[in-house]
Amino acid sequence: MTDRAKFISGVTTSLGHSEVHTPSPEPATAFSDSDEDAKLKAAVALAVATDRANELIEQMAKAAENTGWQVHRVSNPEDAAELIADICRGYDATSVLRSTHGVLTDIPLDVAVRDTGVTIDVTESTDPGDTTDSSEREEAKKAAFSADVGITGVDYAIAETGTVVLHPRKGLSRLVSLAPPAHIAVLRPGEVLESLDELFAMERADFLSGTLSGSMNLISGPSKTGDIEGTIVTGIHGPLEVHLVILGNS
Amino acid sequence: MKPETKEFRSKAAQTLKNKTVLQSLEHVYTGFHEGRLKAAADTPDWEDLRTKGKAIKDHTIAHLDYYLGLLADNVEKNDGHVFFADDAAEARKHIIDLAHTREIKTVIKSKSMVSEEMALADALIEEGIEAVETDLGEYIIQLAGETPYHLIAPAIHKSRQEVAALLDDNFTVGDPIPGAGELTMLARAKLRAVFERADMSVTGVNFAVAESGSIAIVTNEGNGRMSTSVPRIHVAVMGMEKIIPSIQDLSTMLRILIRSATGQRISSYITMVNGPRKPDEEEGPDEFHLVIMNNGRDKLLADPQMRESLNCIRCGACLNACPVYRKVGGHAYGWVYPGPIGSVVSPVLTGLKDAHDLPNGSSLCGACHEVCPVKINIPRMLLELRWRAAEGKSDPAERASSMKERMLWKSWRIGMMGRRRFDFGARISRFLMRPISKHGWIKKAPPPVSGWTTTRDFPLVAAKTLKQRLAARKKSVDANRNRP
Repeated sequence: MTDRAKFISGVTTSLGHSEVHTPSPEPATAFSDSDEDAKLKAAVALAVATDRANELIEQMAKAAENTGWQVHRVSNPEDAAELIADICRGYDATSVLRSTHGVLTDIPLDVAVRDTGVTIDVTESTDPGDTTDSSEREEAKKAAFSADVGITGVDYAIAETGTVVLHPRKGLSRLVSLAPPAHIAVLRPGEVLESLDELFAMERADFLSGTLSGSMNLISGPSKTGDIEGTIVTGIHGPLEVHLVILGNS
Repeated sequence: MKPETKEFRSKAAQTLKNKTVLQSLEHVYTGFHEGRLKAAADTPDWEDLRTKGKAIKDHTIAHLDYYLGLLADNVEKNDGHVFFADDAAEARKHIIDLAHTREIKTVIKSKSMVSEEMALADALIEEGIEAVETDLGEYIIQLAGETPYHLIAPAIHKSRQEVAALLDDNFTVGDPIPGAGELTMLARAKLRAVFERADMSVTGVNFAVAESGSIAIVTNEGNGRMSTSVPRIHVAVMGMEKIIPSIQDLSTMLRILIRSATGQRISSYITMVNGPRKPDEEEGPDEFHLVIMNNGRDKLLADPQMRESLNCIRCGACLNACPVYRKVGGHAYGWVYPGPIGSVVSPVLTGLKDAHDLPNGSSLCGACHEVCPVKINIPRMLLELRWRAAEGKSDPAERASSMKERMLWKSWRIGMMGRRRFDFGARISRFLMRPISKHGWIKKAPPPVSGWTTTRDFPLVAAKTLKQRLAARKKSVDANRNRP
């Protein structure tokens, strides 16, 4: 018997069973939801995100402030680019890293940041498909650890908790929102979901099919710790400050 | 980790003497506890969430064998590796072997109570591998050579001065004490360097999702994210009970976990891992290993009275709420899990005979049951363990009571079971107690009952029993009534 089979059969015995019982549907867990149920839940979540986009943006702004995001509202792409350049200038940034989120090329960001005399790099391998090259990965890591600001869009946001959801992938490195001392996330209406329920309902199919990237991050405010005498301090491992730039109606 | 549950009384007594630590901790626990209360009050469907959380865990544990198989299948489908470890030694050996074959030099550890069961960091260091705890609290504890004091705030008993002495080589006692912010930045700089050179990470698992083969790690600091971004190998370790069936159950479980742990609506970071990095990703581990450990949990599972304790999601709310934990501190409990939940699982996992003082160290006030996000009835299990330790009926080897104690309670029971025996006992007790009492109280009883009066006084048995007094009263009332 393999270790696994032995282990699991030990568990079966401890449960007082002679063989593995397949669970019958349990209303508390979504495990037994049919594909149709799951699809329906996902469709409803998406429809709500679109129909109530403006309301959810307001909720998001409020919740984000509570979790420690510095929230900025801008009405047009030019202002957004200018604001982000200002934030970078405020940190005396010399090196800025950004993801390939569409929103970041929809606003004239690169020009605005470069105008302040800062280098802005995109977190995308120069030679896609060759990321197993360890020296190149070493370079990427160094770049992230030495960058002053990391800029990303959002894959989703969650109004209930003030959370930004990112799926690291090609063009969105894991470290861009983590290693630099400041992180700026740019959000547009329509990208905000109501709560964690809607997020997992929408993502379930991707999780189950294995098409999902290697990881997912839910980010709610800056890195923080209360481990020394219970005093809350930001920036123990990740960003000390995080900015949420909301583009669109304000 | 070697259990030291036998020393509960002496270690508790030690903490009780330390007034400054007690005072500063009171503030912290109250902060956590009140934060939780407020978070619960702000969540309109809080009780429904708890009920749902309990139902999810009850269901999963009742089908644990099925979900373990499903989880393992799906982790492998995502190109991850699964290792099943019967005990801590097996898990430790597997991880050390892995580190050796991959020629690992530096391991970063994220907070994990399961890895404490393995005493993993020390074992890696003994093998010549640098192993650094990266949760700030755990890092401080590691520098001090201690074990965690609290499930989610491991170094909460350390003062800023002690932390400064540990973190800053140039600090000498007498120097102005740096603020928490300054110390945190010092730790940030030190740990940054470690993150940059780390080639393997070991993290815990808050929830493992069976249907998708993914794990969720909850942190405020971001060390969990570093661990899943920088090193080329990621090893996640979990107790076998940490499973939930569906990805959609996560929203319920995360809500109750985080609110109960810190009173936050959400932690800064929730990281989900679905195997190693995808081929076109620039960063992330090349290998993902999941170690699923039993280490005595099957004993809890096979025991209908104790099975419920496997529902625990390690939020620490019962610790913050417990009047005993708040006074005796985390180290008194002598093993990985302190507080009320520790008093339930440690005796079963490490042996009741040595740990029988743990279930006794409770006032049975029920606060732990009231705050538990998955409604674990801890007081019921504490009573069950007390009974087992006293009677030894379920397992004679577990009996911890002395012959003297059993004889005493046996005669007590005989005395209580008959009216005439009871009356006789009451009279003779008063007669025997009177010489050693003063103003109706006994301050110091002789052996074999001297233990009773070390921390409290015992009242002298009344001259007349309640029955006698009632009879006398009735007589006088009747007499008055019959007066013409």
